[in-house]
Amino acid sequence: LCCFLIGNACVRGLLGWTRPERWLAASSFFPLSCIHTSCTALQRIGNWEKKNRIVYPPQLPGEPRRPAEIYHCRREIKYSKDKMWYLAKLIKGMSIDQALAQLEFSDKKGAKVIKEVLLEAQELAVKKHNVEFKSNLHIAESTTGRGRYMKRIRYHGKGMFGIMKIVRCHYFVKLVEGPPPPPEPPKTGFDQAKEYVQQLRSRTLVNTL
Amino acid sequence: ALVLMFPPLPRFRCLLQRCWQRLEGGLLPGFSGGQSLPWGPALGVQASAFLPQPVHDTNESNEAPSLLDSILWMAAPKKRRTIEVNRCRRRNPNKLIKVKTNIDVCPECGNLKQKHVLCGYCYAKVKAETRLIREEIHKQEGGPFNAPTVETVVLYDGEKPTEKDAGKRIIERARKRPSWFAQS
Repeated sequence: LCCFLIGNACVRGLLGWTRPERWLAASSFFPLSCIHTSCTALQRIGNWEKKNRIVYPPQLPGEPRRPAEIYHCRREIKYSKDKMWYLAKLIKGMSIDQALAQLEFSDKKGAKVIKEVLLEAQELAVKKHNVEFKSNLHIAESTTGRGRYMKRIRYHGKGMFGIMKIVRCHYFVKLVEGPPPPPEPPKTGFDQAKEYVQQLRSRTLVNTL
Repeated sequence: ALVLMFPPLPRFRCLLQRCWQRLEGGLLPGFSGGQSLPWGPALGVQASAFLPQPVHDTNESNEAPSLLDSILWMAAPKKRRTIEVNRCRRRNPNKLIKVKTNIDVCPECGNLKQKHVLCGYCYAKVKAETRLIREEIHKQEGGPFNAPTVETVVLYDGEKPTEKDAGKRIIERARKRPSWFAQS
C-alpha cells in the first residue's frame, strides 16, 4: 500500500521526502563501509551543508525550469551574530553583483568575510551546480547563527572581575539562479482596512440554525 | 531594607554603619539633623533624653549629605526589557545599514570604485611603480640628504632625454612605459 502511495506521489510530483533516490544520496547502503556518517565533534556536517545534497527527479517536458539553488555557509567566524545580522539583512534579496559592491565598500569586519563566502558560493554554483551565468544569481536567504562561545575572565580595578564571552558566529547564504524578485510594495492603510472589513464579513454564526 | 549586592569597600562600610546607626536612632536616611521623631511614642517625653546617638551623627553626616543622597537614589532599570522591545530598537530602520548609491565602475580597470574616491586597484598599481622609482632614486643618491636641487625625469626603455630635459636628473627604469604614465 505504501509503495503504491509513494509511486503515486512521485508521479504527481509531490512529497519530495518520499522519493527513494534522496534517501541513498547521503549515506552509503552497507553499514560496514560508512565513510560518510562520521560523528566526530570536530567535523559534524551541519544541516545547511546537507541541503546541497538533495537530488530532484528529472523534470517532465511541460514543467517550467526549476531554478538552481546553492546553499553555502561559513562556521565559527570570529564576529558577533548581532553585528553580522545587519550585513545579512543588507544583502537579503539583492543580486549577487550588487551585494558584492555593497560589501566591498562597507567598513565592517564581517563585510570582508561575507564577501569571501559569496565569491566561494558563486564559484561553486558555476562549477558544480550547472549555473550558466555567474551574474544571474540572487540572494534568496542570508542569516547568521550563534557559534561556540568561550568564557574568559576580564580583570577590572580594585580586584573586581567580570566574565566575558568570546563570541563567534556562523553565516548562511542561499543563492538562487535568476534575477532578484521585485521588492514588495509596502502595505498601505487602505489595504489594511480592506483586509479588516473582509475579516469582519467572513465571520459566520456558530451553533445556530 | 537597602541591599547592596557588591562586596562593601571601606567607603561603603562607613556609609552602611552610618545608615544603620541612623535607623537604630530612629531617623530616616534622608532626614538630616532632626531633633524630634515623626513617629515618636504617644507619651509626652522629650526625645533628646532617649536618643544620645543622633547628636554625634548630625555632626558627622553634615560633611557629605550630597554623597549619601546621590548613592541611594540612582537611576536603575525597573523591569527587564523584553526581547520584543529589544528587537524593535535594534531593527529600527535608522539602525539598519543604508544601501550606498555612490558606487561606480572604474573606466580604466573595470573594478568598482566610489564616486568621490580614487579606484583602489589603479591606486595600488601607481603606488607599486612609485615605490620602484623611489628605490632607483635611493640607489642613485646613495644616502640621505643627497637630493639634487634640479627636477627629476623618469625615462623608460628606449627613451632618450629631449632638449627640454637638459639640466634635469634622469632616473632610468628598465621596463616599458606604463600606459597611465604619460610622457611630458
